[in-house]
Amino acid sequence: MSEHEYTSMNEQLDWKKAKAIVAGVDVGAVSSKAVILLDGQPYAVSQVTTRTPKESASKAISAALAKTHLKLENIHYIVGTGRGRTQVPFAPKTITEIACGAAGAVHIWGPSVRTVLDAGGQGCKVIHCTKKGRATAFLWNDKCAAGIGRSIEAFADLVKKEVTEIGKIALQSDQFPKLSDFCAVYAQSEALDLIRSKVPLEQVIAAYHYAMARRISTLVARSGVKKDFVIIGGLAKNPGIIDWLERILKVRRLAPEREWDPALTTALGAALFADAFCRRQQSDTSTQQG
Amino acid sequence: MNKGKILAGLDVGHVNTKAVMMKGQEILGYCTVPTGFDVVAAAETALNHALDTVGVPRGELAGIVATGIFKDMIKVPPLNVTITVPDYVADAKGALFLNKNSRTVIDIGGNIHKAIRYDQNGNLLDVIQNDKCADGLGIFYTTMAKALGVSEQELSELALRSTKKVSVAIHCAASAESEAIDLMCQGVDTADVADAISRFMVERVAAMCTCMSLAQEIVVAGGLAKSKALMKHLPGLLKQDVSVLDLPEYVGAIGAVMSYEGGK
Repeated sequence: MSEHEYTSMNEQLDWKKAKAIVAGVDVGAVSSKAVILLDGQPYAVSQVTTRTPKESASKAISAALAKTHLKLENIHYIVGTGRGRTQVPFAPKTITEIACGAAGAVHIWGPSVRTVLDAGGQGCKVIHCTKKGRATAFLWNDKCAAGIGRSIEAFADLVKKEVTEIGKIALQSDQFPKLSDFCAVYAQSEALDLIRSKVPLEQVIAAYHYAMARRISTLVARSGVKKDFVIIGGLAKNPGIIDWLERILKVRRLAPEREWDPALTTALGAALFADAFCRRQQSDTSTQQG
Repeated sequence: MNKGKILAGLDVGHVNTKAVMMKGQEILGYCTVPTGFDVVAAAETALNHALDTVGVPRGELAGIVATGIFKDMIKVPPLNVTITVPDYVADAKGALFLNKNSRTVIDIGGNIHKAIRYDQNGNLLDVIQNDKCADGLGIFYTTMAKALGVSEQELSELALRSTKKVSVAIHCAASAESEAIDLMCQGVDTADVADAISRFMVERVAAMCTCMSLAQEIVVAGGLAKSKALMKHLPGLLKQDVSVLDLPEYVGAIGAVMSYEGGK
C-alpha cells in the first residue's frame, strides 16, 4: 500500500526564520497525515499507512520532518485530529475532524464553501460551515456506509488494479449491471460473481463505483447540499466516485486546488488551529513579559 | 473402495482451489492454488501441480471428481470433468474418511461456513449454512490480518497472547472491521483486538450451529480450522468438544474422491 505514502516540502521557506512553527496530525482509519506550517505557510506534508494509531502518528510527523532538518521539539504547537486523535502522544490538544475538515476546506477553497463532504477510509461525513470555516452542522455515515474508502481499496486489490487508477477505469463504461448499493460487502461479493461470469472488468469496476457513489449520495442528500460544495478525504481523488456523485446529486464540486491534496485537508485544519493556539500563547507570553 | 485406481479430487472454492490425489485409501499428494477470476485455469493448475508432486502422468488418472461452489464451471475443456458431488456430501465423506468416529463436520471456508451431520456411512442427516450477511468469514480474516499489518498465522499467534477481553460487533463483518479500527484508535492492545476479531468470527459460526443439533464427534474443516486462535474459542461457545481434522482444507477434495462411483 505504499502508493499512498508520500512526503513533500516547500524548499523556499526557512524554518529558522519562522516565528510560529506548528503541525496538524490527522490519524485516520486507513492513513495518517501530517501538515507543518511556518507562520501559516505550508512547509512540509506527509501521508503514511495507518497500522496502530500511536505508531502511525509518530510515523506521519517523522516523515514530514525527515527532509526539513526540523526536530519534533522545534515545533511550537501540535494539534491531533482524526479517528485516532487521542493516540497522538506529542499533541497537547486534540480537535474533532469535523471542525478541522471545515477549517481546512475554507482555507483551501475560500469563504464561499458551505458544504464539505469528507469521504475517507472508514467514515463519510457531511459538514456544513460558515464563511470563516466554522462547522455548524454535520451528518455522520450510518453504520452500513462505513468503510467505503477502505472497501474500494480492497476492491482494487481484488481486481488487481492500483487504487490510484481504478477510479479512472470506472469512467470508461456507461452501461453496466447494477450491484447492491446497500452494503459494501454484498456489492463486492456480487462484483466477484460478475467477473467470474465474464462480464468485462471495466464494466464491473464501473458498476462498483456507481453503487458506492449511490451509497454516499443518500447521506449527502439527507443532510442537504448548500453551495459551494467541496469534497475532501482520500475518495476526493477517485474520479469514478466523484463523477457519479455529481451526476446523482446534480451538483458540481469545486475542483481540487493544485497545491493541496484533498486527503490533507483535515490535517491542514488541525495545523491552522495549532497556529492560532501558538500565536495566542506567544502574545500571552509577550504581554506577561511586557 | 476404489481398489488401486488413482483418482483426483478437485474442490473449487470461492478463494482457493484444492486438488488431492488418492490411490484407494491412500492420500498420495495435494495442492492448493488461489481460484482467482479464471476458475478453469485454477482447477487445471491445481490438478497439474498435484500430479507433478506425486509423479503420476495424466494418462494414469482413472478419474476426476469435482466439488465446491464452482464445480460446474469445470465441466468444459480442457478438464471436461463429468463427475461432480455436492459440497455437503463431499464434506461428510471426507470428514468421515479422516476421522472414522466423526458424525458432524463444521467447515469454515473462505466465503461459506456450514455444518453437516451424517451417519456412520457418511449419509447426510442434516445441514446448515451461513446467511448472506455472514458470507466471507475467511476473506474477512485475511482483510483483518492486512489491516493489522500481520500475516494470518501471526494474527492467530497474536490473538493467543491477548490478556484483556474486548469485543467487536456481532453482526456484520464491515462493522466489525470498523469497530476493530475504533478499538485500536482507543489504544487497545493489538493482541486484544486480534482476539476480539477471532472471537467475533467463532461467535458467528457458533450462532449458525445453534440451529442444528450436533452429534459427537465434532470435527472442524476448512482453511480457518488452522487458526489456533479460532479453535481456542470454538469448544467453549459450542459447549462441546471439537477436534481439528488433519489436512482440514482438503476435506472436500478427499470427500469428492470418496464419492467416486458411489464410494464403492
